[in-house]
Amino acid sequence: MVLVLALGDLHIPHRAPDLPAKFKSMLVPGKIQHIICTGNLCIKEVHDYLKTLCPDLHIARGEYDEETRYPETKTLTIGQFKLGLCHGHQVIPWGDLDSLAMLQRQLDVDILVTGHTHQFTAYKHEGGVVINPGSASGAFSSITYDVNPSFVLMDIDGLRVVVYVYELIDGEVKVDKIDFKKTTAAHSAH
Amino acid sequence: MNYLIGAFKPSCNISITFSDAKTRKQVPLKKESGQAVLVPLFQSQENISGKISIEPIQGKKVEHNGVKVELLGQIEMYFDRGNFYDFTSLVRELDVPGELYEKKTYPFEFSTVEMPYETYNGVNVRLRYVLKVTVSRGYAGSIVEYQDFVVRNYSPPPSINNSIKMEVGIEDCLHIEFEYNKSKYHLKDVIIGKIYFLLVRIKIKNMDLEIRRRESTGSGPSTHVETETLAKFELMDGAPVRGESIPIRLFLSPYELTPTHRNINNKFSVKYYLNLVLVDEEDRRYFKQQEITIYRLQETS
Amino acid sequence: MILDGIGDEEKWLAEGIAGIQHHAFYMHRALDANNLRDALKYSALMLSELRTSRLSPHKYYDLYMRAFDELRKLEMFFKDESRHGVSIVDLYELVQHAGNILPRLYLLCTVGSVYIKSKEAPAKDVLKDLVEMCRAIQHPMRGLFLRSYLSQVSRDKLPDIGSEYEGDADTVMDAVDFVLQNFTEMNKLWVRMQYQGPGRVREKHEKERSELRDLVGKNLHVLSQIEGVELELYKDTVLPRVLEQVINCKDELAQYYLMDCIIQVFPDEYHLQTLETLLAAFPQLQPTVDIKTVLSQLMERLSNYAASSTDVLPEFLQVEAFSKLSSAIGRVIEAQIDMPIVGSISLYVSLLTFTLRVHPDRLDYVDQVLGACVKKLSGTTKLEDNRAIKQVVALLSAPLEKYDDIVTALTLSNYPRVMDHLDNGTNKVMAVVIIQSIMKNNSCISTADKVEVLFELIKGLIKDLDCTSADELDEEDFGEEQNSVARLIHMLYNDDPEEMLKILCTVKKHIMSGGPKRLPFTVPPLILSALKLVRRLQGQDGEVVGEEMPATPKKIFQILNQTIEALSSVPSPELALRLYLECAEAANDCDLEPVAYEFFTQAFVLYEEEVADSKAQVTAIHLIIGTLQRMNVFGIENRDTLTHKATGYSAKLLKKPDQCRAVYACSHLFWVDDQDGVKDGERVLLCLKRALRIANAAQQMASVTRGSSGPVTLFVEILNKYLYFFEKGNPQITSAAIQGLVELIKTEMQSDSTNVSPAPDAFFSSTLRYIQFQKQKGGVMGEKYSPIKV
Repeated sequence: MVLVLALGDLHIPHRAPDLPAKFKSMLVPGKIQHIICTGNLCIKEVHDYLKTLCPDLHIARGEYDEETRYPETKTLTIGQFKLGLCHGHQVIPWGDLDSLAMLQRQLDVDILVTGHTHQFTAYKHEGGVVINPGSASGAFSSITYDVNPSFVLMDIDGLRVVVYVYELIDGEVKVDKIDFKKTTAAHSAH
Repeated sequence: MNYLIGAFKPSCNISITFSDAKTRKQVPLKKESGQAVLVPLFQSQENISGKISIEPIQGKKVEHNGVKVELLGQIEMYFDRGNFYDFTSLVRELDVPGELYEKKTYPFEFSTVEMPYETYNGVNVRLRYVLKVTVSRGYAGSIVEYQDFVVRNYSPPPSINNSIKMEVGIEDCLHIEFEYNKSKYHLKDVIIGKIYFLLVRIKIKNMDLEIRRRESTGSGPSTHVETETLAKFELMDGAPVRGESIPIRLFLSPYELTPTHRNINNKFSVKYYLNLVLVDEEDRRYFKQQEITIYRLQETS
Repeated sequence: MILDGIGDEEKWLAEGIAGIQHHAFYMHRALDANNLRDALKYSALMLSELRTSRLSPHKYYDLYMRAFDELRKLEMFFKDESRHGVSIVDLYELVQHAGNILPRLYLLCTVGSVYIKSKEAPAKDVLKDLVEMCRAIQHPMRGLFLRSYLSQVSRDKLPDIGSEYEGDADTVMDAVDFVLQNFTEMNKLWVRMQYQGPGRVREKHEKERSELRDLVGKNLHVLSQIEGVELELYKDTVLPRVLEQVINCKDELAQYYLMDCIIQVFPDEYHLQTLETLLAAFPQLQPTVDIKTVLSQLMERLSNYAASSTDVLPEFLQVEAFSKLSSAIGRVIEAQIDMPIVGSISLYVSLLTFTLRVHPDRLDYVDQVLGACVKKLSGTTKLEDNRAIKQVVALLSAPLEKYDDIVTALTLSNYPRVMDHLDNGTNKVMAVVIIQSIMKNNSCISTADKVEVLFELIKGLIKDLDCTSADELDEEDFGEEQNSVARLIHMLYNDDPEEMLKILCTVKKHIMSGGPKRLPFTVPPLILSALKLVRRLQGQDGEVVGEEMPATPKKIFQILNQTIEALSSVPSPELALRLYLECAEAANDCDLEPVAYEFFTQAFVLYEEEVADSKAQVTAIHLIIGTLQRMNVFGIENRDTLTHKATGYSAKLLKKPDQCRAVYACSHLFWVDDQDGVKDGERVLLCLKRALRIANAAQQMASVTRGSSGPVTLFVEILNKYLYFFEKGNPQITSAAIQGLVELIKTEMQSDSTNVSPAPDAFFSSTLRYIQFQKQKGGVMGEKYSPIKV
């Protein structure tokens, strides 16, 4: 069992002063094995903070990141799953599932995590999943109105992944769960 | 020598007993030998009476030219030892010349004897009272027996007894004011007092109060003075600062004091002094001596 | 010899102990034999060991304790008259025959204790006698220990209220008199120690002296334990007499220790009720006494007392504790001319802490304290003493911590005046503290006036206060500071749009003065904050009549435009471009076409003139296309202009693959997949074909430069775009075209079989699998896909 924290679009300090205190108290060091971040942190302090939660930190570059060395896309393998990471502003139309599916095919991943829209979404798509963890700080977005702060925790266990979505709604943390099972090792044919 | 003593062994025993011997208080008296013996205690104006027994040694008769008893008050100066000056001498004839074959007892009495001076044992002088019994014999020398007794005279509390108060000092160095509550103390008295430090520029280490006795004998150019320190009593430890006052409380009872004697029969005087001594850190001594009068207060018991 | 000092002392102590043991042995024998004479003789000899002057206080204490234990045995003997046959009165005299003063007095105290217990004489007489007789020891250390002994043996025999020694003749007053006198004498002895020894060894003496202080302080402790010392007695007798001694002794160490001791041992309630007397003593102390620490202790205790129960608060008000403390501090500062500034300020810090804890509702008090501090500081220019600066920071931080709310501090008129006395560096530190306080407490600053005050307070962060400092600052530190300002901007908020707009204008005014280094940090949060306001106003865009500065999106966009412009001239063109695009989208949402167009224009101008880096261009193009794709406010003409420009930029990117990707992304500008969206299938196809041409060119260029054809990835990407539009129903995209493209890719891949890279292979495979998937899906989509063979 591996816990992967997926989050992004914090936009600190451009759009939000900090992560919500309730999230901060939930996110404690030592529980999480990997962090994948869709970018737009935007400053080093946030990077350092994430690093304290878990040293295995993967970041794709958002358009507001002061750190320009983050890659545009990144793939990594965790257990039986191949994960792809991209901020998403490169995929036009923004937030469009079909376009994201193309990126998923291109990166050849089981799970694609992208951001940019500040809207939490999770779709099962052709034997894969496309996840957008939303904005962890609830940052303002031109694309999405009424953004609630949210992040995603993925519990990867064998061929199964459980996606927990934490959303802060009116000061209360709400948790949703999405189950996903990888049916076959389809890609191994090639 | 034993032979000689044996040869001149008195041919009779003389014993002197006081009529109130059983009830009269006895006090120790230091003899020339250094031993103390208990002797009866009298004061002036008392009757001194008793019995004198003369018992010839068995089988002997004693011929005599008369028997007498004397009451002597004597002063002996040690530079002139053995030479007694009798300031009092009373005689009672006990028997006319005759012979004694057996024990014979004579009553005697000296009534209201004037004994102005107290018995005193000093360094250079001694004042004593003694009963002297003499069995006079012409050819073989008289047979003499002595009986010492002690005289102590009591004084009422003095009607005037001022405190001693004095400010003394060394300019710009030490100024003190001391006060003793009285100038006359009886033998069991306690000296109460205080020392005020008005100026202290020396480092005092400690302060003692001494009782000194000054015995002077003789007169004129041949006066001899002997001073003894009878008590050395520490009053203070450490260096006081200006404004301090140190209490004095000295009990006289532990010390062997006598009353002050002034010009006893022009032969001697015994005076007492309180000597306040300050010692500084270099062991320099600063002192001030004050005479006090000691008297004997009638004990009420 | 000096080097051997310590070794010698050990030796002397050992000798002293041996002496005590030796004489104690004979004393025990005498006690066993009930021989009073010998008991007195040997105990006096034993006690003579305490006459030594050679030991330090520490070692002397060791010796003293041994004698102390022995004296307990002697005391037991004295108590039992049947053992020695002498009445206690006679015994009291008898021990005074001892020739040496120190043993005499130890014995006297021992017998005195038994004497009081026997009740043969009134306790007060015996106590009085003992405390008087002890004057005879003028040696400071020996005197202190002797009197300490007296204090120890008499403690349980004081005629206190409820004690068995209280009686007609003995009142608690006698107990108090006794302890006070002993205290006074001990303190005098203690104070005298400082005059001993030359300057060279003075430090050693001071240390030794310090070791003895508790012997003196013990008396105050005893006083505090006397039941009968009630408030009245404390007020009328105990405190005045203790203070008299403290003041008169004129000794720095003693005054500091004893004042502290008074504060520690007596109840807080007493302090409160005697505040005037107690405080009046402070200005009379020696100028070198560390009054601030003592006063701080007092205020700390009173604060705790106030916190202990709400019942006591009326007492504080009744005695006007605050004003008394306040004026006392004033007097102390006035009296101690040489007190360093840090001392004065730390006094104010303590007073402020007291005020905040005892009178949290009295902001006027808080301001008064700050005002007094300003007055004290006004004589000086900027503070230079580091410790003083620390204290000022503490002073300014205290209200922030207390009130959890900067807003309260903002109402304190003297707050900024205190800050003015800080040097620039500290001013910044303080500004950071203020911001942290706001962030920690999640405080919202809700009016423009307060924002104005706040920015005045933190001006050290907002602009260069002098020309040198900014350059010297470490870049990372500077970034952190500015980021904290950026965070702060989110805390300035009001639900009322009018007020919110005023707040934004105030913020803008201040941050615009920040200079090129600060603007990239401070402008984005301001813009985003303004955009949030715009969104609130969205849809209610009407004519507001009569308002001087109506909060309309239009008005706000004007302000935004000016603000971003400042950023672009910094220059920070990429950031400005992004913000323009955000604004454009907001304007789109507000249905303000000209405004949106203007923002796009600005973005394009920046792109053309300022964004030169090819990588930055790629990102910028994606953002432009992505935003433009979402715009629906534009009429055909404006839209054509903008899409034309965007497509043009795409085709002019430096690298062929980038060109290719940007161009196929542009296809989405002509086909927006919603109901009212543009659907220009022809131009979509044109874009995709253009992308194919570029991909071809890229392929050929690669084979020329590397001797082999490049990756087929671009073709697969374009294939996916074909599929996208095919599915969306673009009639220009036919299954035949898709089929052709699939074949093309297959051919390309076979021709390049020697150099197959796995990524495009996998990409193509999964694309084919997708086609297969769609074919098998059935329904409309399956049918649509059926002509395509894979």
